[in-house]
Amino acid sequence: MTTLYINEEEITVSAGTSILEACRSHGVDVPYFCYHPELSVAANCRMCLVEVEGWNKPAASCCTPVAEGMKIHTQTEAIKKDRQMVMEYLLINHPLDCPVCDEGGDCRLQDYAVAHGASHSRYVEAKRAATNHDLGPFVTTYMTRCIHCTRCVRFADEVAGTGDMGILNRSDHMSIAGIVEEACESELSGNLADICPVGALLDKPSHDVSRPWEMTHHQSTCTQCPNGCDINIESRGDEVMRIKPVEGSPEPWLCDRGRYVYDAFRSDNRILEPEVRQDGELLQATWDEAFDRAGDLLRGKRVGIIFSPYWSAEGLASIRLMRDAVFPDAKVAFDLHRRDMRPFAFEEGFSMTTQQIEDVEHVVILGSDLRQRLPLLMQRLRKRGNMGKPVSRIGAMNYRTNMSISSDAIIRPRDWPAVIARAMQQVSDLGQTAAGMDTWLAAVPDRHEAGKVLADSLMGETCALLVGEEIRSHVDAAALIHGLDLLMRACGHAEEGNDGRNLIPEGMNAQLLASAFGDIRTSAGDLFASASAGELDALVLIGSDPVGDGLFPSAAKAALSKVPLIQIGAIAGEIGNSAEVQLPAAAYSEVDGTFINMEGRIRVARQPIRSIGQARPLWKVMMRLAQALGADVPAVDMTELRDRMAAFAPELADVWKDKATEEVLVPVARNRDAEALPARLDSSFDLDVVSRYSMYREGMWARASDLLLAAGKLHALNDVIMHPETLAAKGLKEGEHTVRTFLGEHSCHIGVREDVSPGVLFVAKRGVAGDLSDVTAASIVGGQS
Amino acid sequence: MTIPSDPKQVKQICFDRIHIPNLTKLSVARENGAYAFLPTVLKEFDAGKIIDEVKTSGLRGRGGAGFPTGLKWSFVPRNTGKPTYLLCNADEGEPGTFKDRDIMRFDPHLLIEGMIMAGFALDVQDAYIYIRGEFLYETNVMHAAIEEAYEANLLGDNILGSGFSMHLTVHRGAGAYICGEETALIESLEGKPGRPRFKPPFPAVEGFYRCPTVVNNVETLATIPAILEHGGDWHAQIGEPNNTGCKIFSVSGHVNKPGNYEVPMGTSLRTLIEDYCGGLQHGSVPKVIIPGGSSTPWLLAEHYDAPLTYDGMIKAGSMLGSGAIIVMDETADLIAVTRRLAHFYAHESCGQCTPCREGTGWLERIMNRVEAGQGREEDMQVLNEAAAHMAGRTICALADGAAAPILSLLKHFPEEVRARLVENVA
Amino acid sequence: MSALEQPQFSEARKAEIARLVTRYPGAQSALLPVLHMAQEDFGYLSMETQKLVAETLGVRLMAVREVVTFYTMFREQPTGQYLLEVCTNAGCMLNGADELVAHMCDALGIKVGETTPDGMFTVTEVECAGACGGAPVVQVNNVYHEKATPASMDELIAKARSEGGAA
Ligand SMILES: Cc1cc2nc3c(=O)[nH]c(=O)nc-3n(C[C@H](O)[C@H](O)[C@H](O)COP(=O)(O)O)c2cc1C
Ligand code: SF4
Ligand code: FES
Repeated sequence: MTTLYINEEEITVSAGTSILEACRSHGVDVPYFCYHPELSVAANCRMCLVEVEGWNKPAASCCTPVAEGMKIHTQTEAIKKDRQMVMEYLLINHPLDCPVCDEGGDCRLQDYAVAHGASHSRYVEAKRAATNHDLGPFVTTYMTRCIHCTRCVRFADEVAGTGDMGILNRSDHMSIAGIVEEACESELSGNLADICPVGALLDKPSHDVSRPWEMTHHQSTCTQCPNGCDINIESRGDEVMRIKPVEGSPEPWLCDRGRYVYDAFRSDNRILEPEVRQDGELLQATWDEAFDRAGDLLRGKRVGIIFSPYWSAEGLASIRLMRDAVFPDAKVAFDLHRRDMRPFAFEEGFSMTTQQIEDVEHVVILGSDLRQRLPLLMQRLRKRGNMGKPVSRIGAMNYRTNMSISSDAIIRPRDWPAVIARAMQQVSDLGQTAAGMDTWLAAVPDRHEAGKVLADSLMGETCALLVGEEIRSHVDAAALIHGLDLLMRACGHAEEGNDGRNLIPEGMNAQLLASAFGDIRTSAGDLFASASAGELDALVLIGSDPVGDGLFPSAAKAALSKVPLIQIGAIAGEIGNSAEVQLPAAAYSEVDGTFINMEGRIRVARQPIRSIGQARPLWKVMMRLAQALGADVPAVDMTELRDRMAAFAPELADVWKDKATEEVLVPVARNRDAEALPARLDSSFDLDVVSRYSMYREGMWARASDLLLAAGKLHALNDVIMHPETLAAKGLKEGEHTVRTFLGEHSCHIGVREDVSPGVLFVAKRGVAGDLSDVTAASIVGGQS
Repeated sequence: MTIPSDPKQVKQICFDRIHIPNLTKLSVARENGAYAFLPTVLKEFDAGKIIDEVKTSGLRGRGGAGFPTGLKWSFVPRNTGKPTYLLCNADEGEPGTFKDRDIMRFDPHLLIEGMIMAGFALDVQDAYIYIRGEFLYETNVMHAAIEEAYEANLLGDNILGSGFSMHLTVHRGAGAYICGEETALIESLEGKPGRPRFKPPFPAVEGFYRCPTVVNNVETLATIPAILEHGGDWHAQIGEPNNTGCKIFSVSGHVNKPGNYEVPMGTSLRTLIEDYCGGLQHGSVPKVIIPGGSSTPWLLAEHYDAPLTYDGMIKAGSMLGSGAIIVMDETADLIAVTRRLAHFYAHESCGQCTPCREGTGWLERIMNRVEAGQGREEDMQVLNEAAAHMAGRTICALADGAAAPILSLLKHFPEEVRARLVENVA
Repeated sequence: MSALEQPQFSEARKAEIARLVTRYPGAQSALLPVLHMAQEDFGYLSMETQKLVAETLGVRLMAVREVVTFYTMFREQPTGQYLLEVCTNAGCMLNGADELVAHMCDALGIKVGETTPDGMFTVTEVECAGACGGAPVVQVNNVYHEKATPASMDELIAKARSEGGAA
């Protein structure tokens, strides 16, 4: 610790802190441009000058470490004059276009010009010209306004990991530039406009449509991925204009999906009114008419319920209450990517915080396109990478991460047992084992070399497994997860404090879903099969799109040709075409609600924007539905709903009683007796099918967002890809081929890439080539095998 | 090509044998004493002794800042588990400076020998000579000399059977004055634009590839063999206390015999200019003397007898800098010279610091107007303020250098500037 | 090399570069020397050449772009066969550099920064060449000509013309 004096006041900070950070942490205002708490220090703007007693020149506070007994002054006349001069230097080449600049009203330069600048400029020479750049679909540039702080360049290097921005030329010809073909290679690009302290990089979608001072701010929670970032929704009237990160929240950045999905809030695909199908057509109806019709279709029937995990805890409570009141025998499904419903040794959700994952010795990613799936967690891993800490990976594809992976391997999903077994073998050869491991190992005849990557990663004191969609959706997932659990135990990663088991969940609220619905859950695929088999009379769908997303689109379509669908939600999605009744529920931006993210962190959205159309909060719709079906209303207000949910996760009650959210983590469920041995999987198909998760297309909100769809086109891969050697081995080349699956034969274009595992048919885009999403295996018709 | 000669030689260190033809050849250099003492150093000296000798010698860096060399070496942390690098600064970009070039093109083995000794003291395995891109001839001379040194096992593995190994690579810059600044040099040697790094951390602790690094000027390193051979005390007796040894002065401008002269520290400006450089082209006393390269404040006729030492120049109001003396007699158009220097700094600013990037351009544009007779009354104050608030407020000292000519002109010759403004009005 | 051709390093160059890279702790350190080689081989650094260098050293294209645009000796445009670089900084200025440039431009019928229509000569002004003792200094394709005079430059131009004509 170091003790020093700032403006005569004694303060103590940890050794090595910069003067600027010492000032910031003690509420002393020092102006700056180039400094950013999440980026490396550049110290180029020179706005942060302060006076240090005994020094013969001013110090740049951002890059000067504190020293014991240092006496710092931030408000002397000399320093004020220095700041005024820095402002004058900056403004000589800055256009005077504040009135037409989007940043106007929210601009550091403008604010400081008022606070620190002189009243007029003495510069009479010509101003510099500048070239604008194409930085992708979300950022627009006005480079004449650039003040060369290099925040964007450091962001691209250090955070996005793209390194596609740079500084060209020198002297006052120096300019910031992006390389066009690569510029939108970042799923975090929207942050560029935020980090630019002036109006040089601006948000393209909201460009020129609004000014900062017209905005109303709503703090809410993003439900576009399990990370559930705090968001600041900026609206003009009821219209969302922008979504920004919340200052001081755990996430300094937002991903492009969470940020730009907002145009979906007003998309044509919103369910705005109650609708009822008449003569084959969905027509607007009154709430009463719609509930009557729903009542007719559901009363006394065998019903299956499918819902989205992204509803708030209150919404989920209302679903459970409605089900218990009127369909006490109904099974529910809320996961469109899980085939194996046996309990997992460790259930969905993280046993670690993202901070702990950033800090552990080793991280290994198992079967996940993490950059698409959890962009902000990927960013944390990149931060590790910048510090030289290892990240390894095993998966069906060398998914692009924008960081260097320390060791990796590509495998087929069917190789997972052999991979885990190889790792078990390695640790067992070193004398490390766990009860039950030998039995598991004995069940697997093969060993796969990729297991070395896994075993090596587990050798340190601490490690984090990030178990992804390739494993969670595996037909034998419970066995794989049991194997991983054994392996962790064998390596001394016991459960208390050094747990490291992180299973990336389908959506938000995983911990709550496991405890509140564990007894009645089944897989969506099973529900569809039951419906198709005549064992159900109707399906109730609450905010999900099994036709557009997930692993069961064909099954869903088959089921819907047999039974009626009652749809409740905000977006109709592709499945909306099959609904008999649609009831509008409010979007996540439009509700007060509580959410739990993958870490178990509780997020409370308190300042909703007003919902549009006739949409109501889900819980009200659920209560009306229960009533319409003849039950007593199970809960009349939020308090009752919350009491109900708190029974499943008492941590929620703590937060509702005003305990700080930072102090609470909802733990992940454990099934210590969930032993599952790998099955021998015989397949008549020689290729494993893996489908890609794309942050720009996955989920009904994303598909209702024109902004995301347009960006997704830039990131699109070939629809279906294979390793060139796998095709070549069959005597085939890239091109149109027929693929056979248990669903039949489909023709599709198959492209090639070296970074997919041999033996894998990688479906980059859903819905093409028939419904390849439903299948786990396929063969190519023709060619030699 | 002229070989600098020194009629009034008292004692020379770097230029001691420079008049000998074909010294670039290893055999000739060896016949004349090169590498003669090296085996003794490798065998009998250790790091501590070498650094002590250099400390005793009082040698101060000849690149411009004048930092005590032995002290700099003693800051290098030992046993960090990381390699230590030695970088020779041969960027020689400061306007008026042209001394390192002569050492390299006439006596490359002197530099190589100095680097081996310094490398030995600092436990260096890889050393580099960062030479300005324009010095193609000198680069080739250095290459050839290094090659010969490798063949003679003066470089490479197990030098002269001592167990000490060091590799030496010549690295050519590509036209950027700023790369003479040591941290910019490091960035450049890492294959990046030469943008200086802020300090701390200092290169001695975190330099080339974030490893401990010593950067020394050519002349500094070329002085090491003599110091080790004759002893630190011997060197300390030359010149004046705290300003020991000889120094090469590159004299240019309005003198009759411009060139490099190595003289003991403490020699006066007058002696150097009149006795060595054959006096001025016009008149008997100079109008302006820039004593340490264009980045140092100007001296006037009244300082003609000031001693050429670090302290003497500070006392006179300037700095010894790199020892590049630009002499201007009464025919010089000071406004034109200042405008030209303003252009230089604006062109050479690396661009990262606001005051330097914008300030140097601003100063140049005002000076362009002033020289063209389109100045305004307020320009003088703006020039003064804009220059004064650049200096000492940036990452490196280029901004200070950029301010120096402007501030000197306005301080010493305000009437000339004002007259040019008046010309405009009239 | 025509503008459309894809630049390629010769095998000898590739070997030289491979050797050079081993002299540094990181391959990017070889960027300046390799750009010098590329400029020597291809005359100037076109975008294609910059991509070639980026690939050869395994560094990002942006890293190459940053370096090429930072250093004045790297040229993104072709120059005349003879590049005449006159130092006009203080030392040379005090010894007639400005008059020398004016004379050369006059003699060649071009302005500073331009190339003669026959593609023979380009005249530029450069910063202090580090040879002020021999002011004024002109670099002709990187060979220093010290104490240059209008007459010595006339002679040089004439000689170049006669040689260039023959070539
Ligand atoms: C703008 C600027 C340019 C410099 N140029 C040179 C140079 O060309 N050669 C040199 O040796 N030092 C130059 N220096 C000084 C170096 O930063 C450094 O102090 C020196 O190389 C250290 O070596 P020394 O201790 O042996 O003098 C320059 C400094 C600045 C601020
Ligand atoms: S002072 Fe000038 S040259 Fe030095 S780092 Fe700053 S901008 Fe670059
Ligand atoms: S914040 Fe310190 S220099 Fe920019």
